Amino acid sequence: MRRIFQIDGEETECWLSHDGTNLIVNMPDGSVPCRLDPTSEPGGYVLRARGRVQELRLAVGPDATFVHLNGRAYAIGRVDPAERLAGSDSGAADDRIIAPMPGVVVAVNAKPGDQVKEGQILLVIESMKLETSLAAPRDGVVAEIPFAAGDSFGLKATLAQLAPEED
Amino acid sequence: MSISKLLVANRGEIAARVLRTAKARGLATAVLRHPSEQEGPAHLIADEVVSIDGPTPVAAYLDIPQIVEVAERIGADAVHPGYGFLSENAGFVAALEQASVTFVGPTSEVIDLMGDKVRARGFVEERGFPVAPSAIEDDDPATFVERSRAVGYPLLIKPSAGGGGKGMRVVREDSALESEIETARREGERYFGDGRLFVERYIERPRHIEVQVMGDGQGNVVHFWERECSIQRRFQKIIEETPSPALSAQQRLDICETAAGIARAVNYRGAGTVEFIYAQDGSFYFLEMNTRLQVEHPVTEMVTGFDLVAEQLRIAAGEGLSAAQDDIAQSGHSIELRICAEDATEDFRPAIGDILLLDEPQGTGVRVDSGILGGGKVTTDFDPMLSKLIVHAPDRTQAIARARQAVQNYVILGVTTNTGYLDAILAHPDFASGDISTGFLAEQADTLTAPGEDISDLLIAATALSDDRLVGEVMQIPEMHRKMGGWRN
Amino acid sequence: MRRIESQIDTNAPDFKANHAAMTERLKEFHARQHAARFERPQRDIDRLARQNKLGVRERLKLLLDPGTPFLEFSTLAACREYDGAVPGAAVVTGIGIVQGREVAIHANDASVKGGAWYPHTVKKIVRLLDVALENRLPVIHICDSAGGFLPLQHGVFPDRYLGGRVFRNQVKLSQANIPQVAIVGGHCTAGGAYVPTLSDYNVIIEGTGAIFLGGPPLVKAATGEEVGVQELGGAVMHTSVSGTGDYRAATEEHAFSLAREIVSQWKRTPKTIIETASFEEPYYEPKELYGIIPKDRKTQFDMREVLARIVDGSRFHEYQPDYGTTMICGYAHIWGYKVGILANNGVLFNDSSLKAAHFIQLCNQNRTPLVFFQNITGYMVGREYEERGIAKDGAKMLMAQGGSVVPKFTVIANASYGAGNYGMCGRAWDARTLFMWPQAEIGVMGADQAANTMADVKIRQLEREGKKLSDEEIAAIRDPVLEKFRHDVEAYTSTSELWDDGILDPADTRNALGMSISASLNAPIDDPHYGIFRL
Repeated sequence: MRRIFQIDGEETECWLSHDGTNLIVNMPDGSVPCRLDPTSEPGGYVLRARGRVQELRLAVGPDATFVHLNGRAYAIGRVDPAERLAGSDSGAADDRIIAPMPGVVVAVNAKPGDQVKEGQILLVIESMKLETSLAAPRDGVVAEIPFAAGDSFGLKATLAQLAPEED
Repeated sequence: MSISKLLVANRGEIAARVLRTAKARGLATAVLRHPSEQEGPAHLIADEVVSIDGPTPVAAYLDIPQIVEVAERIGADAVHPGYGFLSENAGFVAALEQASVTFVGPTSEVIDLMGDKVRARGFVEERGFPVAPSAIEDDDPATFVERSRAVGYPLLIKPSAGGGGKGMRVVREDSALESEIETARREGERYFGDGRLFVERYIERPRHIEVQVMGDGQGNVVHFWERECSIQRRFQKIIEETPSPALSAQQRLDICETAAGIARAVNYRGAGTVEFIYAQDGSFYFLEMNTRLQVEHPVTEMVTGFDLVAEQLRIAAGEGLSAAQDDIAQSGHSIELRICAEDATEDFRPAIGDILLLDEPQGTGVRVDSGILGGGKVTTDFDPMLSKLIVHAPDRTQAIARARQAVQNYVILGVTTNTGYLDAILAHPDFASGDISTGFLAEQADTLTAPGEDISDLLIAATALSDDRLVGEVMQIPEMHRKMGGWRN
Repeated sequence: MRRIESQIDTNAPDFKANHAAMTERLKEFHARQHAARFERPQRDIDRLARQNKLGVRERLKLLLDPGTPFLEFSTLAACREYDGAVPGAAVVTGIGIVQGREVAIHANDASVKGGAWYPHTVKKIVRLLDVALENRLPVIHICDSAGGFLPLQHGVFPDRYLGGRVFRNQVKLSQANIPQVAIVGGHCTAGGAYVPTLSDYNVIIEGTGAIFLGGPPLVKAATGEEVGVQELGGAVMHTSVSGTGDYRAATEEHAFSLAREIVSQWKRTPKTIIETASFEEPYYEPKELYGIIPKDRKTQFDMREVLARIVDGSRFHEYQPDYGTTMICGYAHIWGYKVGILANNGVLFNDSSLKAAHFIQLCNQNRTPLVFFQNITGYMVGREYEERGIAKDGAKMLMAQGGSVVPKFTVIANASYGAGNYGMCGRAWDARTLFMWPQAEIGVMGADQAANTMADVKIRQLEREGKKLSDEEIAAIRDPVLEKFRHDVEAYTSTSELWDDGILDPADTRNALGMSISASLNAPIDDPHYGIFRL
């Protein structure tokens, strides 16, 4: 029910409500009851808001809405705040790679001190007749990889450790 | 050498525009298309759409052997090159000749001559037509100061090796000439390691005026009057009009006759444009000749009533011109606006996007030469010009009013365009009074891109209310709870 | 339906005096509510900020659909307990809207004693979960609690309706296919660990949220193991190792965004259909209630004037208008919902009791929810009425009311004394929601009668011992009793003890009922069936 609207690089967070008759756009500086009714023209609407009646043309794109109003065209970006928040948990990655099951190290692709990228394969293990590649959980520097190829390890063994992130 | 099937070796609005006339003349028609290219109006008009390949779409349109092969394969007996791409490529003309396919345009010799700016200037100057006075130090270093003095003031001293304005000096008085030459030389040496200089007449607040000419290659040349093209951004025209508000009747005749004379001197065949730089004092100098149909040709068509593409096709088919000079008169005023996918507030950065809604203006005196279709996509593969809006009205004031109304009603949604910027230019008092020069847009940049009335709350309202997902979420709330709003007990 | 013709003169001195008295009461009430919701010692506010946690009200704001109502229950719970140091009983409960769905919300208020569970906390949570069960409302738990308040552990832990009942109700909700989501925004220790784990979904906020049966100090004491909060029960561990947690949220905002997304996955079950009409605001201004309710509780008033300021269009279809006139029965709409209304206009006599019993059965037959407006001093006493069988007729009314299958809602508008409280669907009778107006009183009898009765007993006992009491001595016996009774029958006592779901500003009654009725329709309405009516 909330949206961030972007016009010329400026963001405005609003929420929409409905009082049973009109939709109300609630902006930081006040609530605006409004109506948008289609006209016979393609993409044509009449907007009633703030005591004004405006004819406009409108097209909705995937991330932005385009409005032709008073002879000019405007692009209004739309961002769902929930989607923006959904991306905020990426920093939550662990520093360690913990053995998901007991097995044997097949290959070690990095050594302490290496700068690695998130998703880069640090080592390959074999367990239950399956090879599994283990990737760096985030960008960082390898602090420790305690096992060498051929070593076996137990459940929950720390297979790799990244150096703590510096702020 | 009559023509029965025409291949248009171009795309976008000009392909559509040429195809329309060709079809009206009863020709079979074909047009090219690169696989990554969007469907455009041209593809709807042409009888045949021929696919061409290339590492990039532009490369495909520049691929001479492939296009000649296409023309032969589909049995086209003539090729119209439009503008840009291969339209001024002598090699293309020669290759078509080899394949016995008619090129709708001038001979390769003329293209060669006019394509070489130094040769062209020399050719024109030799025949007594006005070129901007200049002096090159290298020609005879001993007489450089004298020759510079002869250029006349104000003049501009430039390092021969220069660029980017470095070391350029404007001299307005003779007393300063020699010291400025020495300063410029030192700067040239410092910046470019080369102290040689070049002097030319400095034209303050110049206008760009050009003349449409047409020759049959048999010695007959006519002009279709001038076009004023001073409204330019980044050296590219975006608004053109005719007649020029700067010219008196006599000046108009002079400049047009000069252009026709230059065309006559090369026994010109087809449509061409002679471009002049026009000074505030009324003097004008040859700049260059474009040996093709210009983007802005429609304004000429609107005021003269001639179909220039039809004339091109007549000439190519050996039918000659349809009119003599006396038949060609200017009636009313016409303005063309180039609608481009670009952001005027971000230094004209090209814009991309999907054309979600397209509604082009129409009505009396309004013409749209469009290269796009609703539902299409604008990419950076080609030039950002999407279409041209051309208006015609009895006089300039009415033409401006009509142009403003039309551009305000030009609905292109989904990609940023310059319609608002064009409207701001048309609304500018200096434009209305005709007091413009090629520097106008740069001088007025801040005024022209100034934000208008803040209507962001209306835009937000329209956006929110047309956001089906958002409205859907709100309408999920039971009606009673919606009506209660944020009630708390 | 005809509009009630109001006889009220808003310029009359009585009206103005009443209005002034009620306004004064409401000022106090709103101030107390505001304090209970927002006023906290600075150190508690600082502690939350230090812990990087949002307050419960901010959390609700993130959770609820913007611009939608929230019906909060028992804001003043525990206001007369623990020296008033546990405002709201350290928990916020209510019914709100999340992603367009009606949900019940249980949110610990960590700004009060770290969200510890006091006896009244447990009572309030259990009540909320009962509301969820009765109305089949999904529950959102916002967990942030220090755990049971140990010094009062016997008031929190062992009995049938204490701590265990919270979890028992969670199980019953799940069994009944009623979804629950928990947002863990603080520690859930020991029993508290079962709130998120018995929820269908849970979200743990990284850094602040943790779930464990025993926290680090207890673990150290029990086994000597030294372990930090995050390793023991933090978001990363639970969402990646133990599977105790479902979603890990980076921030509070993210957690509530996730919770909202989870709620939007739930299927919406169609609500029970009852008769409805389109909305109509009351024709008469609801705030005029302030001038209608007498400042002296003993003054009689016409309950129709009250109804006219609550029901849609002030329209009322009265049943048996000329019979048993101390009991007003009839149909009206509240927020479009058709309801059967029973409102006291005096003492309950035989005829008024029979009328009520009959009307209750009509509403059950018609699947029409019932709304009770109490202003009742009791069933009529005296030889005449006993001979007419007032106890038998009262029993019929209780049998009909208690046997009702339609949702019932009660507003204690003024007096609620004696068996009248029972007949008019008092707390024991399963009203889906029960609210009190601030001046209302509840008790076996009024404070004066009670004090007089008790003083008389004492005086007669002393007289039997041959003591003759002076007026002063009588007053000395009577006054403290009266004082205590006056205190005990007050709405603040009731609401402190959770005998109601909260005190309402009378002008809010219409919305509170609308929210309650709407919520109740999430549960089906059974076929009517009754016990034995003593005829």
